[in-house]
Amino acid sequence: MDNGMDNMLDMYLFETNSLLEQLDELLIEAEKAGDLTVDDVNEIFRVMHTIKGSSAMMEFSSLMQIAHHIEDLFFYIRQNGLDSLNITHKGTLFNLMFRSTDMLRAEVSKVENNEPLSDNVDNLTQEINSFLKIISEEETPKNTEATIAKSSEPKKSEQPKKVSAPATQTADLDKIRMELAECPDDNASFFLRLFFDEGCGMENLRAFMLISALKESGLEFNHYPADIETNSKTCATIIEKGFYLTFESSKDAESAISQVSNLNNIQSYELIENVRVKNATADEIKTPTAPVHENAVTSTPAASTGHQTPNKQNLISVNLAKLDNLVAIVGEIVITESMVTSSPDIQNLKNMDSFLKATRQLRKLTDDLQDIVMSLRMVPVSGVFQKMNRIVRDMKQKLQKDVRLTIVGENTEVDKSIVDSIGDPIMHIVRNSMDHGIEDSVQERIAAGKNPQGEITLSATHTTNEVIIAIKDDGHGVDPAGVLAKAKKNGILTKPENEYTQKEILALLLAPGFSTNEVVTEYSGRGVGMDVVKKNVEAVGGTVTVTSELGKGMCTTLKIPLTMAIVDGMEIAVGKSVFTIPIANIRQSFKVKSEDVIYDTEGNEIIKCMNQFYPIIRIHTLYNIDSKITNIEDGILVWVESGDKSYCLFVDDLLGEQQVVVKPLPVYLNSFNIKNSGICGCTILGDGNISIILDVLNLYAAAHNQY
Amino acid sequence: MSAENTQTTMTGSSHAAPRGLASSGSEATERYLTFRTDNLIFGVSTNYIIEIITNHAITTMPMMPNYVKGIINLRGQIVPIIDIRLRLGKSAIEYTNTTCVIVLNVDSVFIGIIVDAVEQVLDIDYSQISSIPANNREELVSGMISMPDNKVVLLMDCETLVNNS
Repeated sequence: MDNGMDNMLDMYLFETNSLLEQLDELLIEAEKAGDLTVDDVNEIFRVMHTIKGSSAMMEFSSLMQIAHHIEDLFFYIRQNGLDSLNITHKGTLFNLMFRSTDMLRAEVSKVENNEPLSDNVDNLTQEINSFLKIISEEETPKNTEATIAKSSEPKKSEQPKKVSAPATQTADLDKIRMELAECPDDNASFFLRLFFDEGCGMENLRAFMLISALKESGLEFNHYPADIETNSKTCATIIEKGFYLTFESSKDAESAISQVSNLNNIQSYELIENVRVKNATADEIKTPTAPVHENAVTSTPAASTGHQTPNKQNLISVNLAKLDNLVAIVGEIVITESMVTSSPDIQNLKNMDSFLKATRQLRKLTDDLQDIVMSLRMVPVSGVFQKMNRIVRDMKQKLQKDVRLTIVGENTEVDKSIVDSIGDPIMHIVRNSMDHGIEDSVQERIAAGKNPQGEITLSATHTTNEVIIAIKDDGHGVDPAGVLAKAKKNGILTKPENEYTQKEILALLLAPGFSTNEVVTEYSGRGVGMDVVKKNVEAVGGTVTVTSELGKGMCTTLKIPLTMAIVDGMEIAVGKSVFTIPIANIRQSFKVKSEDVIYDTEGNEIIKCMNQFYPIIRIHTLYNIDSKITNIEDGILVWVESGDKSYCLFVDDLLGEQQVVVKPLPVYLNSFNIKNSGICGCTILGDGNISIILDVLNLYAAAHNQY
Repeated sequence: MSAENTQTTMTGSSHAAPRGLASSGSEATERYLTFRTDNLIFGVSTNYIIEIITNHAITTMPMMPNYVKGIINLRGQIVPIIDIRLRLGKSAIEYTNTTCVIVLNVDSVFIGIIVDAVEQVLDIDYSQISSIPANNREELVSGMISMPDNKVVLLMDCETLVNNS
C-alpha cells in the first residue's frame, strides 16, 4: 500500500509539474501576443481543474485552493468572453497568473522535498478574488438583472462562485457549466451544487445533516454522492466536486436554497438547470435512461475523480535509476561480446564461417541495442531554454529593460544528466546578461547605434562529441580595465596588471567571488554566479569560455561532452601498455620514412601531411614507457584531431578497433591532476586487462607543458 | 565503521589516554592487521580491509608520482595501487613471493597498498595506544603500540593515506 501511495505521489508530481510547465509556456506565448485566445482560456481552465482535482485527492489543500480560485477566475472569463477584459486587466491577469504558477510550483517543490505545505494561501487567493471582483463589477452594467440581484447580496459577494452564478442562464451556458461541474447522471431538471467551507471537515456528515433537515421540510430530492452516510471517502469527492441535490421542479429547488442559505458552513452554492434532460425531452431522440436509483450511481462520483489526463504524447515516464542500470548492463554486454568473440579457445578452430556470421549478426544487434539505450537518455534542451523565457520576462518588468530572447536549436538533444546540470548555469548567465549586460536605458542603446530593443540569444548546437551552448547578449560588453581594477581590489591578481592578456582578463570573470557590478541587486552582483557556473559545467566535464568586445556585447560558451559511456576506440600498443584513442578523434594513421620528418629549432619533430605541418608527439617519451620501437620508421603515426588541436601521435602498433565502456578513473588518482596528463578514463578489455583512454585535447597540452 | 566512530561512542572513561583517546576497559579493542614494510611493522584497522591479493597484473599509469604503481581490475572495479615503501620515501625492492596487495576501502575510496609481507591480525586496545613523539612525527602514522613480544606496531592513518594531503 505504501508503495502504491508513493507511485501515486510520483505520478501526481510528474503530472502537476508538466502541467505547470505547459501553463508557463502558454502564458509566455500569450503575453508575447498580448492576448489570450479562447483556446488558451480553455487550456488554463483545464489545467487548473486537473491540478485542483488531483491536489484535492492527494490532500494538498494549499495547491487545491489556489487552483480552485484560478479556475473560478477563468470560469468567469470563459463565460463572459475575452472581450470583457481591457488592456490593463490583461496585464494584471498575466502578472497574477505568473505569480500563481510560481506559488503552485513552490508548493509542489515543498511536496517533493517533504516539507510542510503553507497552510495559508489567503493572500494570493484574495488577490485573485478581488481581481475577479474588479472585472466582474465592471461587467455589471452590461450583465443581466440576475447578476445584479446576486451581487447585491452583500453577505456572499466575496464568493467567486456567487458572482459567477447567475440564477437564470441561457442553455449554452448551462451546458458548459454542466460539463464543468461534472454533474452526476440524473434526469432531474435542476441540480443544486453545494460547497462546504474549506477545511470544515466531515463533509459527508454535514451533507447528511443537510439532507435530513431538507427531508423534514417535506422536499423531494436525490443527492450525490449517494452513500454519504456510510462511506467516509465521499468526503474528498464533496470537497472537490461539491455535493449535489437534484430537484424535479424549480419551486422545490428555490425552497431548498432558502434553507441552505441559512445553514452554517456552506461556502457557496449554485443552481444548475439540467440541459441534458431538457434536450432529451425536447428532441425525444435520446434513449430514456432508467430511473436512477441511489445504488445505481454510487460509482459515478468515484469514477469521475479520475484526472482528465491530456492524451497528447505517447510517452511514459521511467525512473532514471532503471535507465542507468540498463545502460550499465548494455555496457557489460558489449564487453562480454568481445570477450566471447576473441576468446583464445576458438582461435584454433577451423571452419568458423557460421560462427563468424553469427558473431557479425550479434555485433550488429548489440550496436543497435546500444544506440537505442543511449538515445533513451537523450532529451531536448528546450525545457531548460523555455524556462529562460520566463526569467527574461520577469526581469524585463523589474528592470524596465526591453529585451527579447531568441532561442536557436532548442531541439538539440543531450543526455538527461547534462540537461539537469546546465539549467542553473544558463540561468545565472541569462540573469547576468539581463542585469548588467544589456544597457540600462534605451537612450544609451540608441546612442551606441543599436536596436533599442536588447537581444539575448540562446543557442545550442552539436558537434561530433560536444554540445555547444552559447548565451550571447548585445549589451555594453565587458570593460577589461574595469575588470582588472576590480580584480586588483579583490586581491585575486597573480601577476602584474600589464601582463594580463584580454583572454586572461575575461577568465578572471569566472574566478570565485568576482562581480563587476558595484551594486548588489536582487538578481546578480554578489559574485557567486560565474564561478558556480564554471563549477557546475566542469562537473559534467565541460568548459566555460567568455568572449566580449567592449560596446558590442558578451558571449558565454559552454562546451559539454555528449554522454561518453561507450565509445568506439582504437587500441594502440606502446611498449607493454595498451591505450585507447576514441575513433572520433582519429583522422588517419600512416607509416613514415625518417627523411619525411622535419625538425624545428628546438629539435621537435614535425610531419607534413596534406600540405599542412603537424607536430609529432611520441607517447613513449611523453609517458616514459620502455619501448623497443623508437625509430620513427618502425612504429606508426596516428593523426588525431580534437577541437582546434591537430597533431600526430607516434605509437608502436595499432591493435584494432573495439567498442569500449568508459570507466571513470579512481577517485584517488584525481588528486594527482590526472586529467591534465591526457588521460580521461580507462576501460576493461575482453581479456580483463585495463586499457587507458587518451584525451586527445589534454594530451597535447600535457606534451606542450613538458617540452 | 571507522576507528573514529568507535572511539566517539565510548564515554565515561576512567583513564584518559593520550591524543584524546578514551577507553572503557578491555572491550575498547579493535582488530588490526599487521604487515611488514622495510622492517617496520604497521597496523591497519580491519574495518578498512576488503581483501588481500597477490600476483595481480598492474597497469601502469603515466605521469604519476613514483609510489603510484598503477591500477588493477578487481572484478570490474578499477583500484589504484600504491607502494607503501615508496610512499614512505624508502627505497624500492624487488617484489618477492611474500609481497602482496592489501585492498582498502576508506570512506568509499578504494586503494590497494603493496606491502612486503602480511603478518597477523591483532586485537588492539585503545588505551594502550600512545602517540608519536612530536619531533619525529610521521605523516602516515596516527599512533603506536608496543606488543607483548616487545615489537612496536605503528598504526596507519588511512584517511591521510587516501586524502594525500
